Amino acid sequence: MVKLGSSPNQSAREEIPDFEAFFREHYRSVVRLAASVLGDFHAAQDVAQDVFFAAHTRFHGDVDRAPGWVRIAAVHASLNRLRGDRRRDRRHELTAVSEAVAGPEDSVLERETRAELRQALGRLSSKSATVLVLRHGGMSYVEIAEVMEIKVGQVGTLLRRAEAALSKEMHHASRV
Amino acid sequence: MRHASDAVLRRLVDEPFAVPDATFEHVSGCRRCRARRADVAGDAGQAGRLLTAPQLVADVDLGWEQLGRRLEREGGVPSARPAARRRRVATRISGRAGIAAGVAVFALVGTAAATTIDNVFAPTHVASLTINQDDLRMISGLVDFSESATTDGFPTAAGSGSLPFGTLHWSSVGAAQKMDSLAAAEAVTGLRVTLPTRLPKGVGAPTVFTVQPKVSATIDFGPTAGHLSGSSIVVTAGPAVFVGYGSRAGDPDVPTLAVLDMSRPTATARGATIAQIEAFLLSQPGVPAALAEEIKLLGDITTVLPVPTPAGMVSHSVQVGGAPAVAVATSSGLASGVVWEDAGGIVHVVGGLVDQRSTIDVADQIG
Repeated sequence: MVKLGSSPNQSAREEIPDFEAFFREHYRSVVRLAASVLGDFHAAQDVAQDVFFAAHTRFHGDVDRAPGWVRIAAVHASLNRLRGDRRRDRRHELTAVSEAVAGPEDSVLERETRAELRQALGRLSSKSATVLVLRHGGMSYVEIAEVMEIKVGQVGTLLRRAEAALSKEMHHASRV
Repeated sequence: MRHASDAVLRRLVDEPFAVPDATFEHVSGCRRCRARRADVAGDAGQAGRLLTAPQLVADVDLGWEQLGRRLEREGGVPSARPAARRRRVATRISGRAGIAAGVAVFALVGTAAATTIDNVFAPTHVASLTINQDDLRMISGLVDFSESATTDGFPTAAGSGSLPFGTLHWSSVGAAQKMDSLAAAEAVTGLRVTLPTRLPKGVGAPTVFTVQPKVSATIDFGPTAGHLSGSSIVVTAGPAVFVGYGSRAGDPDVPTLAVLDMSRPTATARGATIAQIEAFLLSQPGVPAALAEEIKLLGDITTVLPVPTPAGMVSHSVQVGGAPAVAVATSSGLASGVVWEDAGGIVHVVGGLVDQRSTIDVADQIG
């Protein structure tokens, strides 16, 4: 924790251990959230690096409020990146996504489904996609409400609409 | 009463205790709301399956190094300390995952049981670990005894099996045995077992009391284990008490609900750290890559209890008696379970052919 009145250099040195502990605790889950949007492990790590860099600037060593912030920032940054990729080269993005997450056990069908998921996420509203990723990334309703700055009661509504929209998008994709 | 809103029906899927009792009762008795709830649960399940696909594991050390360099370069911050693994070089850890928890969860949902290999990735708070039949089959293939032999844990009270990298020995103070009463089971194991006083609908009286004495499993790493050659790890689990409930209607012997209490497992390593052994075991060719990634994603193995959750089941985090717990249920809601560890180091498992709300209610009475 940065102490008031300490010199900048002193502050920086003091805040690093706290921030490192914070980073180590949350880095994997932030990468995982980003990867669930992007389907690209390397891109997800890039997003996580940007997010933690921004978090360091924003919170310094005072990281109490940072866990929720880095998560929603990762989701937003990933969605922006996903939409940017799609605008630049939709076809390339689809191919890249299919290959990026493929493990040895993945079937062609699974890879196609994941690629369809990225496309569907990109078509959903930002709010819908965000609540989907946060909830299925393991955050509770209360945590989601806090980071999205909405009431807890709205989370269920948003989530239901988002899941119904995703289901519709996936159904549509499977028929095309 | 008005029909439940979509928001309420959705929350009922994830956090049933957050929904008022009156609403829950209405939904249970209202055909229209039940049908809508099924739709909501279906969409939620599909989204969950799509969004929880296995991901690769980020290297935290590398990530911190990269960020440290960037902070130094762009942020004007003194260089971060050299990255070093923060995992404790623990030669003895308190493990809370384990044989019995794994076996119980799988038994609850009628799947095959856990094997012994992943128990070293032990534990201090619960977290869901998705595992499927192929994972079980592949892990079982590492040990030279048949898959069916692992269904009830260890095939015999004592014995050994060969591994590609060494030998597995196991021994138990005695064989599992049925007892006449809970008091007898408590006397044999020394455990104090709390049973629920309020049972879910359809659940009859307890009909089975089984005790499993303490079990120890040792892996001695041989020459093929490379740098781990000569080291060993001992995982000790139990004793445990299993209480099975019959049906209130029809055959009283038909199991409807089960409660399992078990002393938390402990793991002791010699000649290597738990982290080294974890890394080695996860890199074995027989260990499914996706499962290894899931285990790594759990984080610090000294603080996480992996609760094996069969693929396709819905899992979420709840609190039982102030302790974090994992609640799992089939997508149909017909079977469910809850796993947690109390402050006294006892791992509790509640599960059966009842809905999630019922198992959480039973868990709350115990916890």
